[in-house]
Amino acid sequence: MDEHKKFLSDRLLSEERPITYRLLSRALDVHVNTAKEMLYDFHKYQNALRSDSVHATYLVYGTKSSDNAQSNGDVEMTSSIPDHDALSEDAPTTTLTLAREEELKDILADYKQVTAIHVYSLAPHPQKDLCLLSDVSTQLSEYSINEDTTAAAKKYGTIPNTQVRRRNRKGRSNVTALVSKPAKQESMKLESVKQEPTAPKPAFAAKIKQDPFAPKAPASDAKPIKQETSEPSSKNATPSSSAGKKPPALKKGVSGGIMQSFARAAALPPRPKPAPKKEETSMALSDDGEADDSDIPAKKTTSDPEAVRAARKQREDALRRMMEDDDEEEAEASEKDDEPADEEMEEAPEPEPEPEPETKKEEKEPAEVVSSSGDGRRRGKRRVMKKKRILDDQGYMVTIQEPGWESFSEDDAAPPAKKQAVTVTQSQTSSSTPSSSAGKGKKPAGKGQGNIMSFFAKK
Amino acid sequence: MVALEDVAGSLRQKPSDAAHQVPSRASSSYKPLDSFALEKQRSYKQQFGDMYFLRLTKIKPAVDEVAAASWSDTVIAGETAKRVPRVLDVRQGELCWVTGTVYMDMPLKPSILEDVSKDRWISAPISTPKYFSEDGSDQIMLEDESGRIRLVGDMLKTIHVVTGCIIAVMGTENANGELEIIDVKFPDLCPQLERWSLSKPAASNGTKKREAKDEDEDMADAPAKSSGNKKIAIVSGLAFSDSDASHALDLDLLLEYLLGEALSPAAQTDISQISRLIIAGNSISTSDRKLDTAATAADEKKTNKKYGYDASSYNPLPSQLLDSFLAELLPSIPVTLLPGAQDPANASYPQQPIHTAMFPSAREYSKDPSAPASQPGWFDAVTNPWEGEVDGWRVLGTGGQNVDDVFKYVDSDDRLGMMEAMCRWRCCAPTAPDTLWSYPFQDDDPFVMKTCPHLYFVGCQPNFSTKVIQGPDGQEVRLITVPSFTESRELVIVDMETLEVEKVKISAA
Repeated sequence: MDEHKKFLSDRLLSEERPITYRLLSRALDVHVNTAKEMLYDFHKYQNALRSDSVHATYLVYGTKSSDNAQSNGDVEMTSSIPDHDALSEDAPTTTLTLAREEELKDILADYKQVTAIHVYSLAPHPQKDLCLLSDVSTQLSEYSINEDTTAAAKKYGTIPNTQVRRRNRKGRSNVTALVSKPAKQESMKLESVKQEPTAPKPAFAAKIKQDPFAPKAPASDAKPIKQETSEPSSKNATPSSSAGKKPPALKKGVSGGIMQSFARAAALPPRPKPAPKKEETSMALSDDGEADDSDIPAKKTTSDPEAVRAARKQREDALRRMMEDDDEEEAEASEKDDEPADEEMEEAPEPEPEPEPETKKEEKEPAEVVSSSGDGRRRGKRRVMKKKRILDDQGYMVTIQEPGWESFSEDDAAPPAKKQAVTVTQSQTSSSTPSSSAGKGKKPAGKGQGNIMSFFAKK
Repeated sequence: MVALEDVAGSLRQKPSDAAHQVPSRASSSYKPLDSFALEKQRSYKQQFGDMYFLRLTKIKPAVDEVAAASWSDTVIAGETAKRVPRVLDVRQGELCWVTGTVYMDMPLKPSILEDVSKDRWISAPISTPKYFSEDGSDQIMLEDESGRIRLVGDMLKTIHVVTGCIIAVMGTENANGELEIIDVKFPDLCPQLERWSLSKPAASNGTKKREAKDEDEDMADAPAKSSGNKKIAIVSGLAFSDSDASHALDLDLLLEYLLGEALSPAAQTDISQISRLIIAGNSISTSDRKLDTAATAADEKKTNKKYGYDASSYNPLPSQLLDSFLAELLPSIPVTLLPGAQDPANASYPQQPIHTAMFPSAREYSKDPSAPASQPGWFDAVTNPWEGEVDGWRVLGTGGQNVDDVFKYVDSDDRLGMMEAMCRWRCCAPTAPDTLWSYPFQDDDPFVMKTCPHLYFVGCQPNFSTKVIQGPDGQEVRLITVPSFTESRELVIVDMETLEVEKVKISAA
């Protein structure tokens, strides 16, 4: 028995599921025209064995004999007013009809000329509702996921197009080509990614080092700090799960870009200023239709924490240097965002009363660093609380506050009131939600998000 | 009458091991124009009045020319018709002619003043089936920057005009201060460019010979042999829907047809000549969305909406279906996508392209931002109306709102006639900004036709119809109303050498 007969009898007689030529061609990796012939062959063969055991539908293509036949026939939509034809030219109409085998003779009788006819589908039962066939074609996607379209077109007989142009997306390097498929899925459902048990892949260690920023920033003396702080960061990266375990951190890392930058921010609180913020914004608003693949993680974490830290550090330094210049203009806007009144927490993750060495360290740090105070203006950066929304490991959106640096440029007199407010918020946060304040250590959220929320929500 | 036995090439045979020849898709020469693209940073603070002014200044010279040519020496009852520069200068009892913008005063027409005075605030465009009232209470005015005069006369019963079209009228003002008109002139078709005036014919299979002699390429005398010619397919109203699966199978068949997977090798070779698919509006159905809002109205209080918008009621499925449809087509055929009234684009004319973020998989084929401007996207989401040069022909297409709106003004079902009138008025959306929502243009009225298209199609219409109209200088325009696929299951195929039209009807019995 031929392979296709075996497959078809399995599918039709044992599983009792209908099949179309397209599905058959994908299932058996044959040209669609061959598949049409196979369906015909099987239909003839099986019905010779036992009549009426499989039922076919045919696709008929050709010109119908007259308009009357069209409107009187099987089709209901030509009922529209025919007096338009007087104003309009007649256009030759070719009709593509899907017909059950029982009606085939009648339908063919309406045709003046038939250019093509073939078996469209086979089913184990008479097909009352042809619309069910569209469900069959949705199964096609099972076969077409991992295929190269051009190769598939050749194999299955889709009309190929040599001129086809695809976007050459930014960030789609040879590295991402390897991982882009899983990455796409990951970015769609972050939470599931985190639950995936992922073995660390040492193979990717090298890729990290190919990071574009890496060569620019040599590892500096900040590395020891990193090592200290990365431990708490991994703990808090998954606030609801038990703290202190290494695996969560690694899992996070796997999901790449987004999660990595979170972890990075946690690891180095004084640093993640606008640089990571920028990056995150582009992720959150990835509907800009452009270059979205650059959001998709280009690299994976490694089992070697040392290498990861070094790489992160380098990236951060580079980013920070890059962003330093933009800071000043943003300062004013972000100050508004930091009004304590707006600092309500939407939902804090479960508090983790565990002592946070990082938080303490932060508090010791100066709340404001004035870098220059020439020409009657003070410029520098100060510590503020920023709101940020993230997906936690259960897929919930949580809003947290976190300390961050913002640069400012203002007249000589420092506003003490504002500073106070900032401090208050900070202490509140660190007491009420210690895990989020320092541990999560997220970068500043998109400005204005929280404010708009509280403005519109009917309280 | 065809019997099953006499069908040739039927693929009703035993599977053969013969390798199937896959014909390659004909190439599409395509140059979209961004005539209707708006700036990303645009202001909506301006008044709409400037549009009428711009339109009048742009079209008036053409009308004046036509009018002067035919009326300059007209003598009626011993009186010579003389040109009056402004509407306000019309003197009672003098035979004269004047040019201005038509304004239709119709009781059924939506009026912003009425809305404000009755304290009605709506956010969506309301749809009245017709503004035209049977009782004759409609008034036609002619206005320019100086003033407005009411037009009367039997002549007006024989022609159709709508708000915003620029006409010249000849007549005398009567005792009531109305202009009794004797004759009306339109600017008529604007100059038409030669074929291949913007793009160069690409050397490709089958069409080489004809391109060599494209000077005498005239759709009238082009050879009848049409099978080898390149074609484009136009479809509209695909209306991908979550709840209404009644035409899902037809959409599958359409996809298989365009991909060339259905049918026999001979037919597949024909289909491979279809070099481009144009989707003219309403690709996504919003009908089920309306049902949803009615259903959720009851428990609206319970749902905690953010930004006054309930994210849980959003249904992404229709756009996902459209996306996968496009993603499957695109490897084989380039697609131009016009937004329609129901698509997720801005509601006002000109509609801007549907954002490619709507198409997570199809956008891979969209325009590369780093690509040179001369290279359009393989998957080209464009404006509505849209203008471009396809295979050398100047093509103007819309999603149908312009015709639908003109349709409301007139007591007629002749949509081709309306399209023709728009060409002769030299304005593809005359009723904007009066009843067709529009962006308040300040510097230019893009709806004024500067060059006459060779092919003018309008999507989302109730019926298929087509004809060719001729202009005074030998212009020829192929007009097509493209029916909604959901209604008619029809796909329009245009031969890109002869501009002959045929259609393919899909029926899943």
